Amino acid sequence: MADRGSEGSDRRRIGVYVCHCGGNISDVVDVEAVAARAGADEDVVVAWHLQFMCSDEGQSTIEQDVRELGLDRVVVAACTPSLHETTFRRVVARAGLNPYLYQHANIREQVSWAHVHDQAAATEKAARLVEAAIAKAALLRELDEVRVDAVHRTLVVGGGVAGLRAALDLARWGMPVVLVERSNELGGHVLRLGRTYPTDEPGRALIERLVSQVRDEPLVEVRLSTEVCQVTGYVGDFHVGLRAVREETDGHPCDEEVEVGAIVVATGFRDHEPARGRYGFGHPRVVTLADYQRRLYAAEGEADPARALGIDGPVRAIAFLHCVGSRQVEGVDEPGASGRLNTYCSRVCCTATVRAAAETRRRFPAVRVVDVYRDIRTYARDQEQEYRRAGEAGVVFVRVPTDERATVEPAPREDPYPLLVRTRDTLTFGAELEVPVDLVVLATAMEPGPVEDLVAMTKAPTGADGFLLEVHPKLRPVESAIPGILLAGTARGPMDIAESTTSASAAAAKVATLLAGDQVEMEPFVARVDLSRCRGSGECVATCPYPGAVGLQDVELDEGVVVPRAYVNPVACKGCGACVAVCPNGAVDVQGWEMSQYLAMVDAITADPAGFPRAIDPSEVTTG
Amino acid sequence: MDLQAQTNARSTRILVLASLLCAYPGIDATGQAHLDYPANTYVLPTPDPVMFPESFYWHCFERGIDGILIASCGTDSPYEGSYERLAARINRVYRQMKERGLDIRRLRLTAICSVCTKAFVKEVGDLARVVEELGPVAAELARGPEPVGSESP
Repeated sequence: MADRGSEGSDRRRIGVYVCHCGGNISDVVDVEAVAARAGADEDVVVAWHLQFMCSDEGQSTIEQDVRELGLDRVVVAACTPSLHETTFRRVVARAGLNPYLYQHANIREQVSWAHVHDQAAATEKAARLVEAAIAKAALLRELDEVRVDAVHRTLVVGGGVAGLRAALDLARWGMPVVLVERSNELGGHVLRLGRTYPTDEPGRALIERLVSQVRDEPLVEVRLSTEVCQVTGYVGDFHVGLRAVREETDGHPCDEEVEVGAIVVATGFRDHEPARGRYGFGHPRVVTLADYQRRLYAAEGEADPARALGIDGPVRAIAFLHCVGSRQVEGVDEPGASGRLNTYCSRVCCTATVRAAAETRRRFPAVRVVDVYRDIRTYARDQEQEYRRAGEAGVVFVRVPTDERATVEPAPREDPYPLLVRTRDTLTFGAELEVPVDLVVLATAMEPGPVEDLVAMTKAPTGADGFLLEVHPKLRPVESAIPGILLAGTARGPMDIAESTTSASAAAAKVATLLAGDQVEMEPFVARVDLSRCRGSGECVATCPYPGAVGLQDVELDEGVVVPRAYVNPVACKGCGACVAVCPNGAVDVQGWEMSQYLAMVDAITADPAGFPRAIDPSEVTTG
Repeated sequence: MDLQAQTNARSTRILVLASLLCAYPGIDATGQAHLDYPANTYVLPTPDPVMFPESFYWHCFERGIDGILIASCGTDSPYEGSYERLAARINRVYRQMKERGLDIRRLRLTAICSVCTKAFVKEVGDLARVVEELGPVAAELARGPEPVGSESP
């Protein structure tokens, strides 16, 4: 048996609880058999199967068993740990055990729901996963959360709508904020939007209202024309260098340093700029949707479309083209300056486009409007109404095959219209269309904002699309993998104003929770050095990507000899385990994910039902 | 008991080392979508597969794991440079596998995202087919590498 650490080497007293999940598990897995197999383990004191382990009854059963039977470890086999691992850790803690003496086995998402057609195999798999969980549980150690003194101030990077919202919310939570913005004014893209969805409030009005509220907040300190030039430290105590934006900033030292407990990144997005000539881009009669909206709403009372839109010549027909730079396909589209295809959907452009198309028809009824799309994704509540209204307003929809692209070309000089849009239309059974128009409006993609420098400084990861990457899109949508660095708004991906401000509020709430006390509390899943094994090779230091997370320090041995030994700074460690694999002496582990625990799980998975190892000893094999 | 009887007496087993932030929720999503994949697949979550040393893979093979699918975050890993380190390590394991006569197709390095359900089903299905074709790892380990110069002319 593997080393059981400081908790002693006597048999464990483990309680195992197998959940039916109201049939979700027990309709496929023989939970009684699984519990019986678990109960046969010498370390298991009690093994139950219950209808709903997460119910009050299930939780109180565990609590009662821990107290009355003296359990020292608990295993629950149920749904994915993403849902209820925290629930059961709390149960264990309420019962008086260290919450990290708990192990979860996932037998719903990864067994009963995946192997519904093979119940015997599903039961065997569930039993082995529970046995593996028991094997790991036996080796679990008591762990304590990592705590660090918290600086009660937050840096918000980016003064667009998300940054403003985050700063305002933080101030209202009582948190001092430093808000830095690279440009010389607050507001970002929204400032230049004609009308915003769904209220129709002009973008400038919306921003002015927010800015006024921010300016009235004494806790918010706004720094315009300022950029981040250095980030050191860790959650609770980041040291951030700031400097004034200059024409030549390369190599220019930081002007000042601010100390903050958390950083909210709200750096926004960039508008996609098509390659010159693509979709006619560069022609004076081809404009982006953002440009068109500015023109459309700038001259609200003007009835003449040419004068209103600032076009030199008659405006009788306009074509709107969707997905310009979005949902790009290899072999069909060309990569942009970043070298990658934007395979993602920019999400907000469909609604913005159909609204602009409908508004054009409402303002200028004589103008024909054609909407050229691949798919319409007016995805949020009530947005489908905008699509319907556009149709009712007389907008003509043309659907391009997904693997084809509409083209925009200058018309021959003798033609009455300056541009020709050519495409096939799947709505008319693939008919070849040639649409003469006076103006083409391109619904361009949202692309990642300029975050390269910030990424290099913070190590906050980006996804394949170039946007900053959240830990999980649903479960932890505003947290980056770096503790204390939160993501707000379109820095994380395309979203509309409502979504941006909601994510900003979520990020602010996360920060407020994080920095609420005198100390920041983090999960204890960080590296740990076993000094009895460490020989000071320094391999862990060399491989660790995070400055200050792992280091070597002199340690005096009993006989007075001073030797280098590794140490871990738990607040700087991200718990990736890169150091674990390279230690030649196996002296480093990630707490909660120790190598001995993995080996024990593998042994449990490969053991035959009688408990004997499954591997064949080559010396016993007769090959003749 | 001859080799064939010993090996046939046991079914094959596949281990999946699933990154907690990407592949693990992706494999959960596979179950949520009720997409089938071989039931001899055992998923172990890990903060990042970069944590496993070469010796871990050998422990698995020697204990009777017939195929290992590393379901990493790929280049989307939130940990800087981890995928490159992982890939380099797996290359070293491949070299060791060749030296010991183990088919390197038993170890598969993949990137599975948190919604990559079909990709997971494909990868684990492909590995299961390879393992089925090769048979239990123990037999291959017992045979050892081909003697030098044993190849047909």
